[in-house]
Amino acid sequence: MLVLSDTLAFSLAAICYSVGFLLASLRLRFKQSDGAWISFAGLIAGFSFQTLALNLRGAAIQACPLGNLFEITQFIVWSLILIFFIIGPIFRLRWLSYFTIALAALLTLLVSLVPGTDAAYQSSMFGGNPWIELHATLAMFSYAVFAILALTSLMFLLQQRSLKKKHHSRLSRYLPSIQQLDTMARRLLLTGFCVLTAALAFGAVFWIQNLQLVPIFKLLVTCLIWIGYGSIIVLRWQHKIVTRRHALACLILFCGALASLWPVQSARSNTEANPAVSTPPANVRD
Amino acid sequence: MSSTLQSLFVFGSSHREAPLAIRERFALGPEETLQLQAQLFELPDIKECLVVSTCNRIEIYGLAQNPNSIETNIRDNICALRGVERELLDAHSFWHSNLEALQHVLEVCGGLESQIVGETEILGQMKQAYARAQVANCIGSVLNRVFEKSFQAAKAARNQTGITAGQVSIGNVAVELASRIFGQISTSRVLLLGSGEVAEKTAKALKSKGVADISVSSRNFENAHQLAHNFEGAAIEFSDFQQQLAHFDIVVSSTAATEPVLTRASMERARKRRPDQPCFLIDLGMPRDIEPSVEDLDEVYLYNLDDLSKIANENLVQRKAKIEAARVILKRHAWNLWLQLRRRELQPKRTEASRRSPQSNAVANQA
Repeated sequence: MLVLSDTLAFSLAAICYSVGFLLASLRLRFKQSDGAWISFAGLIAGFSFQTLALNLRGAAIQACPLGNLFEITQFIVWSLILIFFIIGPIFRLRWLSYFTIALAALLTLLVSLVPGTDAAYQSSMFGGNPWIELHATLAMFSYAVFAILALTSLMFLLQQRSLKKKHHSRLSRYLPSIQQLDTMARRLLLTGFCVLTAALAFGAVFWIQNLQLVPIFKLLVTCLIWIGYGSIIVLRWQHKIVTRRHALACLILFCGALASLWPVQSARSNTEANPAVSTPPANVRD
Repeated sequence: MSSTLQSLFVFGSSHREAPLAIRERFALGPEETLQLQAQLFELPDIKECLVVSTCNRIEIYGLAQNPNSIETNIRDNICALRGVERELLDAHSFWHSNLEALQHVLEVCGGLESQIVGETEILGQMKQAYARAQVANCIGSVLNRVFEKSFQAAKAARNQTGITAGQVSIGNVAVELASRIFGQISTSRVLLLGSGEVAEKTAKALKSKGVADISVSSRNFENAHQLAHNFEGAAIEFSDFQQQLAHFDIVVSSTAATEPVLTRASMERARKRRPDQPCFLIDLGMPRDIEPSVEDLDEVYLYNLDDLSKIANENLVQRKAKIEAARVILKRHAWNLWLQLRRRELQPKRTEASRRSPQSNAVANQA
């Protein structure tokens, strides 16, 4: 009998996202019709496997699985899709499912195929402190909100370019209006910033008491991201960064935040590997 | 083939058979349409009847016991009602029966027979005609089934081929672009510059999509006032419109001016007052009313007559490329419907036959 392990479930989720994205793209290319339902079906299937995989992994380590780059990325993708399921039907953003599944497929395939991302780590990395676990979960959730923000920004730029250049592709016809996307981006930016602020606030409680345990590089990058998004909000409020520039800023900042995950994670692994600054090793996961 | 199905027919005249000048002479008003429908239904040979009259076609669908004699009767009735010569009607009309008639009604509902291929207005008009015939009790089980199935087939052909995708008239292209910029355009504020015919049509298209606030500015204030009254909007002095530009989301310009009436400088001033709100400019003037460099401003989308025509033509070419695919789907539906009607026609006869010989029925059951 085939036993569904967490690794297999993660792989199945990646396959569902990739196949869904591929089929939706083919339908868009050849059928000339709205194939958003295909990407939606792919998201449902992938999300189900991913939920199961995260549950299995969480049960194995007795904590929220956020210990390495693989788990962090999987958790961000899972949160991204969860947010899509919430805001997608509310705001009726056509083709957001297509862009969401594209990002989900890209990220899950990347962390599945690149070796060393799912490295073993101390299962007691949160030290049993629920505040720091809440901090980590909220931080990942804010990344997911910023991921959706980046997707709406990308859709905005594509729609705007199509209207400005007067090149009306099939995809641009299916995209939501630029005003709708701009409003959505504004709301997502505020939401993501609030969630990240809350994550930092909860984390601060732990940091103040355990300054020596906090990797400085991670703290620095997180603060830079927080300042970056905060600056966009302020500049938008002052009408200095609006519409196209706002979309570009959100997109670039998210790419930067995503790219920083790798060095941040490496820095954290190095810190944990150093017994002078790490918590006593408990159950090391194989 | 059963006798009833041999008598399914459609008689008509459309833009394919008759030019506008002739179609005008055949055209029926709403009252005349109902009158003709009632008159034809009174004819002893006609079992069911439905009359459709639009600006591009007049068509009579029916079920007759003796189709050969009924064609003459129908032609005579129309000639008498509209006062046209029989030769003229004969020269500019068509007659289809049975499967051909079925295919025709499906293609009409699917928009393949329309002057603007793939337009959906005809489906609404067919549905209205069907509803009127139902109220007048002029149709029975056969035409009921034919029309219900035609509406379903038209929807299927539309969805499977995307033949209705993309607008093909200047006004509707402008509306589609406005929707891609603003989403719901019902809250958008529109300024009409000049009182040209194309601009008025575009404004009408915007109004039909729910735009409530249309203001008009023209060198001739009387004209502006009259047009504004038609759109239930306000008239603005032509010398004032530049100052009020920031209040409008969509500007449709169609003046007879020889120099641009909307300059980059005035648009820049307006943008400063609404930096995060897009502005859609439609320049229908010849020569152009809006300085082309306005297009370079952020969040300003400028489309002139050529841009809109190009999109309309591209959409039309795409629609035409899908005609054959849609026709294949509709033919399949027509053939299925034809078989269904034949089965329904044969069913009572079989029942009657089995009632007549219960023994043979019992033998058949045992077998």
